[in-house]
Amino acid sequence: MKKITLIALATLIVLGGLLMGAKTIQVKGSDTLVNLVQILAETYMEKNPGSALAVLGGGSSTGIAGLTNGTCDIANHSREWKAKEIDLAWEKGVKPRFFAVAVDGVSIIVNEKNPLNEMKMSDVGALYRGDIKNWKAVGGPSLGVSLYGRQSNSGTYVFVQEHVMGLKNYSTDMKEMNGNAQIIEGVIQDEGGIGYVGVGYLFDESGNIRKGIKVLKISNGGAAFSPLDKAAVDSGDYPVSRPLYQATNGKPSAAVAAFIQFEMSDEGQKIVEREGFFPISATHRAANEKNLR
Amino acid sequence: MTKSLKLAAFLFVGLMALPSASLLAQQTFTTTIYFDYMTFMSNAGPYTLKPSSETTAYKNNQFLFRRAYFNYENKINDNLKFRFRFDADNTANIASVSLTVDPVSGVSTKKDDKLRPYIKHLFLEYSNFLVPKMVLNIGMIETLTFKPAEDRWGYRSVAKTLVDGYKDITGMDILATSADIGLTMKYSFAKFFRAAAGIYNGTHYSHAENDQFKEIEVQAQITPIAGFSIVGYYDYERKLPVASLPAETAPATSMFKVDAYFEMIKNFVLGGEWFVFKNDLYQSGGEKYDVGGFSVFGRYTIKPDSFALFARYDDYTPNSLDRDLDMTMIIAGFDWVPFHKSWKIQPNIWLRSYGDGTRYNANATSNSDIVLNLTFFLSF
Repeated sequence: MKKITLIALATLIVLGGLLMGAKTIQVKGSDTLVNLVQILAETYMEKNPGSALAVLGGGSSTGIAGLTNGTCDIANHSREWKAKEIDLAWEKGVKPRFFAVAVDGVSIIVNEKNPLNEMKMSDVGALYRGDIKNWKAVGGPSLGVSLYGRQSNSGTYVFVQEHVMGLKNYSTDMKEMNGNAQIIEGVIQDEGGIGYVGVGYLFDESGNIRKGIKVLKISNGGAAFSPLDKAAVDSGDYPVSRPLYQATNGKPSAAVAAFIQFEMSDEGQKIVEREGFFPISATHRAANEKNLR
Repeated sequence: MTKSLKLAAFLFVGLMALPSASLLAQQTFTTTIYFDYMTFMSNAGPYTLKPSSETTAYKNNQFLFRRAYFNYENKINDNLKFRFRFDADNTANIASVSLTVDPVSGVSTKKDDKLRPYIKHLFLEYSNFLVPKMVLNIGMIETLTFKPAEDRWGYRSVAKTLVDGYKDITGMDILATSADIGLTMKYSFAKFFRAAAGIYNGTHYSHAENDQFKEIEVQAQITPIAGFSIVGYYDYERKLPVASLPAETAPATSMFKVDAYFEMIKNFVLGGEWFVFKNDLYQSGGEKYDVGGFSVFGRYTIKPDSFALFARYDDYTPNSLDRDLDMTMIIAGFDWVPFHKSWKIQPNIWLRSYGDGTRYNANATSNSDIVLNLTFFLSF
């Protein structure tokens, strides 16, 4: 009996300690979004003493699984949810609501020594499928192509596969890197390298395009546009752009809603621009407002 | 060195030489271990190990590795995945502690109780097979029998689910297994409805096929509203005729099972499973009897990846003609991640109650065992 009493007491102490801790909003998911949302969260916490947010990466799949399993309050994702993820969420009683926080031009980068300045989107797809293995075939030097991409839990991996590669499999020669920064490092070191990264990762601390890489203009049957051209991204002329989302389980709590509202505010969207992404459109803003209600 | 050893060494060296960044990124190696300190807190009943003389109390306790899994997965491409899983379990059965014939002398009935590795999974998974959202598994694969319940219960480290652990608890074999050789096809029609079917040897992962019959399993899940699911399951297998039955009789086994899961409240899961197992060979006094039971369980996550509570109630009817053999079991405990989620501590208590076979008589008694487990869940 004494033993059981001691166990019960220990349980209560542990429980009490856990419950007394401050409620931290857990944000998890897309590696494309992780740096941006961390900065947004830090700014928000500075302005709202007492608020607490923890932001983790891991890829869009990780965030979506976290929201479904109840291990996070906000899932960052840079791709649409897959059908099986929607089915599983339904099974677990999770009804996701989506909020666009930024717009990204997925940037195709090559080593700065590569003479190419632009490419057709179909050629980029052919490279990543492994159909073309030498730069000469797309107007470049006679040099082997080194593919750099993300791991399959990344939203960017899926987005490029869906929008650039015609849903075909990646070449098994592609080096699957942990994050955008690793892709950039790979391309800098590799003269034959090509990679895809979120536009926010192109810049160094001074706001200049990072040394050692070149950002390609991309065409889709017409003129080629740069992901750095805000107007082209907004209009959809740049063909590899996408909104970056956050998802909550149903109507967000007051604390979560307040943070999302901050992200959508002028101040939040200025941070979005400063970090190299593009602000959300009026359509996105209206959809967000509706989902907050 | 034999030829096979040389070949194995060659393959191993070759495998180690292969990993480029891209190859490594597609492969994962994981290990999961369930480790217990278990103590029997009561002196009564057949499940408590005690000396043949009951004049002195004897409270058994032990450290125990109950399970160790080594898992290798290779994501070949976006649709193809290969899994190889080693499983190792202690042959000692934790529910019926019959490690020794004579617990005082310690004479073992078995050669030893070492953790023995064996292959549990060896299969290829083909997603989007034929059509999107259709999945084919082929090889030594997971069966459909109790996977949904195991996923919802979530504490395989603490206890198997009702059907999985039935034989351990009651001693009655209901021919249920978590893996077998064969193939399954799963298809999600919509978020409201999904279905699966499988065909297997029916001899499970521990035996080679021994007859011409195959086990068929079918499963359907409806989720009419978000967070509420009902799963229906049925399996069937013909068996070879036996001398004790009339020659014209074609014996068979079958199981019908219904699960219900309520997951509408955030971080709270409430589940239940009910089943009946029929085996034409199970007869008493010339009359067939069924085996069955039900289980209700719940878990509440107070702090994700940190602290959760769980509890379960099981009811076992190993012989529908003799309810004196009925048993119940209550499990309760908590799940705590003190430092890192790769290491969980799951203290839990089991309370088993059962009759002595005479409970409907005037002098009927009932017995109970209390078992306290300090379970360590290691995953990395």
